Amino acid sequence: MKKLLLASCALIASLNAAQADENKLTISVYGFAQDAFKEILYKPFEEKCGCELVVETGNSVERLAKMEANKDHPVVDLAVMTSQDALAARRKDLTDTIDTSKLENFDKLYDIAKDPNGDGHSVGYTFYSTSIAYRSDKVDITSWQDLLSDKLAGHVALPNITTSQGPLVLYMLGKAMGDDDASLKAPIAEVGKHKDDIVTFYVRSSQLVQLMQQEEIWAAPIGRFAWKGFSKMDLPIKWATPKEGQSGGMNVMVLTKGSKHRDLALQFMDFWLSTDIQTKLAEGLVDSPANKDVKVSDDIADNLTYGADTVANLHLIPSDVMIDHRDAWLEQWNEKVGQ
Amino acid sequence: MFQNRAEAIALVLPAAVFAGAVFLVPVMILLSEGFRTADGWSIQAYIDFFSHSLNQAVFFRTLKLAAMVTAASAVIGYAAAFAIVNLPAKGKGRVTGLVVLPLMISPVARTYAWLVILGRTGFVNKALVAVGLSDEPIRFLFTETAVFIGLLQLFLPLMIISLISALENMPRDAVPAARVLGANWLQVFTRVILPLTREGLVIGGTLVFTGSMTAYITPAILGGSKVLMLETLMYQRVTVANDFVSASVIALILIVMAFSANLLLKRLATARNKK
Repeated sequence: MKKLLLASCALIASLNAAQADENKLTISVYGFAQDAFKEILYKPFEEKCGCELVVETGNSVERLAKMEANKDHPVVDLAVMTSQDALAARRKDLTDTIDTSKLENFDKLYDIAKDPNGDGHSVGYTFYSTSIAYRSDKVDITSWQDLLSDKLAGHVALPNITTSQGPLVLYMLGKAMGDDDASLKAPIAEVGKHKDDIVTFYVRSSQLVQLMQQEEIWAAPIGRFAWKGFSKMDLPIKWATPKEGQSGGMNVMVLTKGSKHRDLALQFMDFWLSTDIQTKLAEGLVDSPANKDVKVSDDIADNLTYGADTVANLHLIPSDVMIDHRDAWLEQWNEKVGQ
Repeated sequence: MFQNRAEAIALVLPAAVFAGAVFLVPVMILLSEGFRTADGWSIQAYIDFFSHSLNQAVFFRTLKLAAMVTAASAVIGYAAAFAIVNLPAKGKGRVTGLVVLPLMISPVARTYAWLVILGRTGFVNKALVAVGLSDEPIRFLFTETAVFIGLLQLFLPLMIISLISALENMPRDAVPAARVLGANWLQVFTRVILPLTREGLVIGGTLVFTGSMTAYITPAILGGSKVLMLETLMYQRVTVANDFVSASVIALILIVMAFSANLLLKRLATARNKK
């Protein structure tokens, strides 16, 4: 009798768990602006779907490592990452094709966000441009080469090669030097020559706000997503528009292979790409929109990577180039700059 | 004390199982990564690691900074500890409390404070310019100097506490006796104080050296990627290149360095005593 009772309890418990599990979507996202995401995206989605959203946070590389470790029993249903990490995930067979016919908002996306890696495994949800934030009372920046000029010696921070901004900055520096070879040999060697003039090779852009505030640095290349912190400072700081143009990157959503909540994940993806949500995220200066129907005021647009022209003029590095060269870049960097 | 061996073993067992399961086994697994290859076992990963000039530079920088911090903390620590043990009982308690106080503050907060103090507009630079020692602010942040200062401040209390306890165990009349017999202060220190407090120096030295070598937060914040140390290099290898083999190699190097430092300090202290 006792055994029977225990068995029925276990059965009821497992049924409840299964039911609860069916209504639970696990997503893995970047750790920044989570309060805003909760208000604008997570809560409204939970109310709409009547489901529970479990949010894991971390950086793109950590997410990729976790997905690989849990390959046989995926924990996360939907993940966001850089477009190059999405390609790495696809090559490791960690993601599935996205059935875009189930995404009502898919057609509203800028063309380059629709299938950034050309493999049907990712959809872009935000862009960012990469340029230089600088103290306009100290220097004037018109070219990427100004980063290594005498006027900024000892007052400039550059991204480390290991960050997502690192290769983009080197690529633009190479372009300014008249060498846009994907090996990045020339710009890495040039940075190596000037390494004593660089205050630090940063790994987190959040660190730069303090360095700028303390007048440790007068200029640093950053992604537009980090601009909010600078724009609020009580210092004359400008966003440079170098003559060689701006670089940038794209963050994408992917579906984990073997995930059991595919429909719910697609619903969430569609919700995130909707004009309403993308507008709210843009107005909150959280993410620049990938949905071309989003309309924002000039003030907001000035702080985002916004508009068809801006998006079309970004010098992006293709994901395969990024992944295939990553190890060689790191080796070059360690040899010329790291020591 | 125990009625039988079984009782003693039973008491030790939970702690031993816990330490084995959550510490020893994971450490062994991690360390084995550095020796495992597709064909069996090899030390190739170690040869590869030391064949890179960047890794060599990082290894020697870590060793150099840890040794400098240990030496500086021993010098400052002896002076401070000697002054503290000679204070009246009430004052001694208060000053010792002040020495221990920084240990109760998170290393992150302490290190961030240095970011402000050592910055171009920080206290140190303002003072240097004000007294005319420098014409313009000096760049301290992201240099070995900044990491050295940060580590010294972080671990000095450990050295002072070890030396206070060693000095308190020293016979109170040993120093006056040596002075009466004509020894100068250098002789008093090298022939009386040092031999009688060697245990404290070994314990303090090991704690400071090991701590400086394995510290992550301070080199990461004050040194950044321009002043890579073994710990920050290990983090870089794992998070950027997903390279657990190098991480395992670095982990073993750090363990060997910590044990070697302890042995060396013991040797030095004993050798001094034998003289």
